Amino acid sequence: MKELLTLSFSVGNDLMTTVRLATGGICSLVGIDLDESEDCKVCVTEGLLILRRNGYSTARVVFSQDDGVSVRLVGLDRGGEGEPSVEDDISYALLEALVNELNVEKDGERLCALNFRIGC
Amino acid sequence: MDDRELFLRYRETGDVADRNKIVEKYLYVASVLAKKFVGRGVDYDDLFQVASLALIKGVERFDVDNEVKFSTFITPTITGEIKNYFRDRSRLVHLPRRVAELRVRIKRATDEILTETGTAPTAKQLAERLNVSEEEVIRAMEAGSVVSLDASASEGDEDMSFHEVLPAEENFFEKMETDDAVASAIGTLNETERKIVSYRFGQELSQTETARRMGVSQMYISRMERKILAKLKERLQSSMAE
Repeated sequence: MKELLTLSFSVGNDLMTTVRLATGGICSLVGIDLDESEDCKVCVTEGLLILRRNGYSTARVVFSQDDGVSVRLVGLDRGGEGEPSVEDDISYALLEALVNELNVEKDGERLCALNFRIGC
Repeated sequence: MDDRELFLRYRETGDVADRNKIVEKYLYVASVLAKKFVGRGVDYDDLFQVASLALIKGVERFDVDNEVKFSTFITPTITGEIKNYFRDRSRLVHLPRRVAELRVRIKRATDEILTETGTAPTAKQLAERLNVSEEEVIRAMEAGSVVSLDASASEGDEDMSFHEVLPAEENFFEKMETDDAVASAIGTLNETERKIVSYRFGQELSQTETARRMGVSQMYISRMERKILAKLKERLQSSMAE
């Protein structure tokens, strides 16, 4: 697996567009098709929203090339406990529907990272 | 009344009012998901409509004894329908998945060979590297060359665009004939049978709802449906033979 890009940033709305653009760039670099590239943007955004709803204020995204694009989203600073939301169920189901492999890492009961792969 | 009771009652009675209650309760899921796919060249309203129809279909398919929550069950269904919509409607040219995948592999192999040798690879080199035929490589590479219908179809002075010279859809007349044959076969059914065809295949109602509207049992509709389809098949086969 070849690591391509790592970003660390605040998971507020301000940088979401930047992250989506970076995601599109990585997908293009790896050569996955446009549909999957758009799906990947949706998944990265969704993963970050899950981390935010779980109380994280900053996150790290690591993009790697591995038979498609592998994405690792790690929650960094927790600003609070977060509020369980009905949208979490929808978000996880959406990720399951769009990605090839979804892996959720927890520290005890606490979500700490999401990993998925998208592309051929 | 909780969701389970509402689903059970709908299964039992087929009452559209119950189905609508469920749909209204979960319409927010359709809205949430439609918003996530905005920005791909299809308006939110269209996506919401596709998502809402998927939601209605999902209500019909949901198994209440399944331990999955309805919102979790319906999300992949709606997502799948939205993706199908993108695939079918928003793209002018759709490459078969196998060809699209081969194009990605060709791009990678081209980069690799270029790095290794310093020169662009030939189709033969790519074919050997990817373990496919040379023809497949060439066809996959050509598949990406989209040409406008307004582009010139000839190099001469008498310019004609592709849309002027391309033939009409070749299945058009065949489809007309098929439509005629189906209409004629349906014409041989009696009134009750035609009503069932209209409810089941025109309005796409469930067998339960069709039975409710006609005041008969679902089993009766099921038996009649099999009989009608067998009858139509027989008529169509004999009209094809003619």
